Amino acid sequence: MEKLVVSVNGIPEQGGVEMTSAQTLEPAPQKRKAGASSGSPLRKFAIHIAPPLIVLILFLGFWELAIRLADVKPYLFPKPSDIVKAAAENGHNLLVSVRTTIAEAVLGFAFSVILGVAFAIVLALSKTVERSVYPYAIILQTIPIVAVAPIIVIWFGAGMNAIVMIAFLIAFFPILSNTLIGLNSTEANMKNLFYLYNATKWQTIWKLRIPAALPYMLAGMKISCSLSVVGAIVGEYIAGIGGLQGGLGYAITVASTRLQTAYLFACGLSAAVMGIVFFLLINALSNRLLRSWHDSAING
Amino acid sequence: MNSTMLAGSSPGMAVGSGDQSGILVGMQNIGKIYPNGTIAVQNVNLLAGEREFLCFVGPSGCGKSTIFNMIAGLTNHTSGELAVLGTTPKEARKQNEIAFVFQEHTLLPWSKLIDNVTMPLTLRGVSKKERMQEGERVLELVGLKDYMKVLPRQLSGGMKMRVSIARALISRPKLLLMDEPFGALDEITRQTLQDELLNIWCNDRKMTVLFITHNVFEAVYLSTRVVVMTPRPGKVADIVHIEAPFPRTNDFRSSPEFGGYVHAVSESLKH
Repeated sequence: MEKLVVSVNGIPEQGGVEMTSAQTLEPAPQKRKAGASSGSPLRKFAIHIAPPLIVLILFLGFWELAIRLADVKPYLFPKPSDIVKAAAENGHNLLVSVRTTIAEAVLGFAFSVILGVAFAIVLALSKTVERSVYPYAIILQTIPIVAVAPIIVIWFGAGMNAIVMIAFLIAFFPILSNTLIGLNSTEANMKNLFYLYNATKWQTIWKLRIPAALPYMLAGMKISCSLSVVGAIVGEYIAGIGGLQGGLGYAITVASTRLQTAYLFACGLSAAVMGIVFFLLINALSNRLLRSWHDSAING
Repeated sequence: MNSTMLAGSSPGMAVGSGDQSGILVGMQNIGKIYPNGTIAVQNVNLLAGEREFLCFVGPSGCGKSTIFNMIAGLTNHTSGELAVLGTTPKEARKQNEIAFVFQEHTLLPWSKLIDNVTMPLTLRGVSKKERMQEGERVLELVGLKDYMKVLPRQLSGGMKMRVSIARALISRPKLLLMDEPFGALDEITRQTLQDELLNIWCNDRKMTVLFITHNVFEAVYLSTRVVVMTPRPGKVADIVHIEAPFPRTNDFRSSPEFGGYVHAVSESLKH
């Protein structure tokens, strides 16, 4: 009763008000586009790229100068110039290592996406299955990967298979848990609507729950892609094989035993760059898929 | 169904050819008690015939939404008899003759309008050609034919609700259930949509609308009958026949007759 609204006096032209809101519809997306790319490229550089770049240059300069002045031996703490030199001298080896690690991380990540999403769908289809299986998935996740890695090496043999397996195990859980949360957080109203229109369980999964879970799935992938690089390198520490095909993890172990500290730095930095690039790729994919309808991609 | 049980056995028809032959919803002594003992609805008797526009009006907690959910088959009644389209609610739903509109627009944010409105047909496996045809028809009905390829987020609240109504109309339902559909809209948009809904209903030759609202003015403006409900426990306090002819316009909103009906419904609500 408190919500009674006085509406006795009429409004002259009923259609008019809604039409104005309809007309503002077209310019809206353009306005957003214009806002995103505001200003010239130079301005964008000055605001977004220049400040961190200046910090980087200052940091490297300070590093170079401090080590030079203190006269620290390169095998204890290399200067930036030492690292660049080491990377250039071992350029070919570094490239092969990077390529190997990329292959392992991408494979592990791909398996984690396929199996993580598939597993989440199975769990989401039945509350009973979820209740009985999910706790074990959590327990599996809490076992430190380094602790089980030797077993994986025993089962899969040293080399590529075991390393991919370790990268997969580390990247799997964030995708599983995120996708499952996404599948379970479909709006009750939407589910009711599908139910009322006699949708089958599969129709509800394919046409409602999976698309609604996509933002969660992609958030899980953003976490997992960096983790898969970590997993690949950890895998190489434990199961890496030598020779020409060794990955970054193997190169790092070798460099550290030989006290090639500068090259060790170069390998570490390469791994970092790899992780960042991988993340940016997944982030771009995420924005592309969600751009049109999800707030995270529109405002972010 | 015993006609002496019924508070309003002859639907207040001002247009069309409503008669007793087609009873879409029949409720006899319907009651709903939740497991925790709360009585949501008690002793509700009601018949809804063809071409009726029935508004359920009442404050929060009077059981209007419970009645909606029982007719839709989302929840079961615990006593009495309920028939929808001559059968149980769950069976009735399978005939694809019932449609639903909620207060939230419940549109899929990733689907274009045309895909949103044709969703009920897609779920039934209707061919793409027919889907497109019907989709264009209902979008034209609500004045959004030019926005077929647009995503819901680009629309205003009122437009989203129109799409939601279009989606409900796509299967040419005999029974349209609306649960406070205009509750979240501003007053001006609300009145526009009321007029559009009445137009669609007047032009349709068979559809019955069951409309839940807490707005007395809205109930009087739209209905052939207003079912007044009171809370704790949810009961039908009164059924007010609105005899004003269709189509109704703003003149009706400002007429003394309208004020009289609003007064009558408001008085019943105080019981």
